[in-house]
Amino acid sequence: MKLPRTWRQPGSTLALVVGASLVLAACSSNPDRSGNAGGTGDVAGDIVISGSSTVEPISSIVLEDFVVANPGVDGSVDGPGTGDGFALFCTGETDISDASRAIKDEEAAICEENGVSYVELQVAIDGLSIITSPENADVSCLSFGDLYALLGPESQGFDAWSDADALAGELGDGYGQIHAPYPDADLTVTAPGEESGTFDSFVELVIAEIAEERGQDETTRPDYQTAADDNVIIENIAGAAGSLGWVGFAFADESSDSVRSLEVDGGDGCVAPTAETIASGEYPIARPLFIYVNADEAAARPELTAFVDYYLSDAGIAAVSEADYVALDADALAETRAAWAGR
Amino acid sequence: MTAPVQALSARGVVERRLRSDGGDRLGLVLQVALLLSLLISLGVLVVLIGDIVVRSLPVFAERPVDFLGSALSSRPARAGILQGILGSVLLMGFVAALALPLGIGAAVYLEEYARDTRAARLIRTNIRNLAGVPAIVYGLLGLAVFVSSLGLGRTLVAGGLTLAVLVLPVVVITTSEALRAVPATIREAAFGVGATRWETIRSHVLPYAAPGILTGTILSLARAFGETAPLLMVGAIAGTFTSTAIGDMLTGSYTALPTIVYSWSGQPQDEFRALTAAAIVVLMVVILLVNASAILLRNRYDRKW
Repeated sequence: MKLPRTWRQPGSTLALVVGASLVLAACSSNPDRSGNAGGTGDVAGDIVISGSSTVEPISSIVLEDFVVANPGVDGSVDGPGTGDGFALFCTGETDISDASRAIKDEEAAICEENGVSYVELQVAIDGLSIITSPENADVSCLSFGDLYALLGPESQGFDAWSDADALAGELGDGYGQIHAPYPDADLTVTAPGEESGTFDSFVELVIAEIAEERGQDETTRPDYQTAADDNVIIENIAGAAGSLGWVGFAFADESSDSVRSLEVDGGDGCVAPTAETIASGEYPIARPLFIYVNADEAAARPELTAFVDYYLSDAGIAAVSEADYVALDADALAETRAAWAGR
Repeated sequence: MTAPVQALSARGVVERRLRSDGGDRLGLVLQVALLLSLLISLGVLVVLIGDIVVRSLPVFAERPVDFLGSALSSRPARAGILQGILGSVLLMGFVAALALPLGIGAAVYLEEYARDTRAARLIRTNIRNLAGVPAIVYGLLGLAVFVSSLGLGRTLVAGGLTLAVLVLPVVVITTSEALRAVPATIREAAFGVGATRWETIRSHVLPYAAPGILTGTILSLARAFGETAPLLMVGAIAGTFTSTAIGDMLTGSYTALPTIVYSWSGQPQDEFRALTAAAIVVLMVVILLVNASAILLRNRYDRKW
């Protein structure tokens, strides 16, 4: 029986892996950082941003450009959601929190408890698009009353559009003109789940007022398909003839060949979601997008101040349009800049 | 009298089986069903891989080097997976350095030293159960123990430790199987010429179990390479970050290839569809390479006794 001589060899395999990663490290530590965006290039540090996945693309573009001009600065942008973002922000783990809604009282209380003071800065506007399948040609506009009848808490169990006729008749035209009778087609709903800022915004902007008047919970029907991934929502909506759902304007706009965005009547007539109608406030389902900056950190760290300065500059705020959101108008932008200057 | 008759009838059965054409209908149906199940599984795989590869072609045609060598970005034209490759390689380093020695050591003790008591059997059963625990549970464990209690924070070290714990049961199980497959006669021969227990393990049992141990452990590395859920729990960045230096990745933000696939698949821009496919292709190639190396090593050390 001959014993194998090469038993020690696995050790050398491991050494090879370690060696290879060191070589990779050496290659990668000098990334190409050319070009010139904002900033003076003499600040250094690490900027940590987390929060809303809706705002993430904006912050991410701003950070990339800022780092190109300030090679001493590194940073990260993550998008676990507005609520999770505030949980990190209010324990001091992040410098900036992206948010697709204003901070809630209970979140603000946690911030206060931990001694985290902050500045709230609105950076953009996002519209929620009500979407359906292109095959669903019978519907072109829905009012808040229609949306409540089809998606509100009292619509539980409605499997066909026409199931909502009676409820819509009961609501009347107080919340925009009712478009009942609805088509006699299957109603399949796909939309963001409760953990999403997009869900909160829909409930707050569309459902809440009617639900309160009717003594109902301020929520949607519970029996619909939820998806955290907006692309899954788009796919489901495109795949069923009688589909209905809502996503952020950017996603619906990117997918305009596979889903159809409906006009919405918030009481002042049907308005289609476009960048112009959202910015002007004509389109009724729009929400502000914020960044929250840790004020004490900003006071202590020049790189964070420089970053927010750049974020709000003309060059920085252009990221809003690049990420397909709706830019603030001149007055709102001036207000944001004043809030930052007066911190 | 009865014996020849039985032999005759048995031969008759064999003859009928050999000569009959289409007599065995059930057998034929079964054969077709088996072939179909093979074709269906292969077909699904071919469609999946083909679809991914076709979607990824634009990226590899336009900017192969740039894609592999760039940092994450929200701009599809500039986004690359360098940080994911580095992060995944570093994580694998942690898993290899922690889970392999620990797991192999534990298995050697269980198989070669521990007496077959009720306690030992209980431990074995539990290790098998641990191998079936969903990855997200290990993520929660990593979050509670490594990130919070040990104060490592949401760092790559915590991620590496979590993945190491995740694959540990698999390493113990595959190593145990390999050790058990070594014939007892080899141990007895070693003891017979006066070797101590450790000498027997060191120069007889382990070398013969090496192919099995290597294959199993390398495959467990490949599993850790493809995990996303536990990493998201313990802080791998699903957004973007700017630093591509290894040192920064050890102390600050980090990501891994599967995490990038997860995050890009949720981006609105259409260009990210191709980028996601390209990242999946890279991930598959790496896992294929890891598995191929496992086969090579096994063939190299494989021997008969």
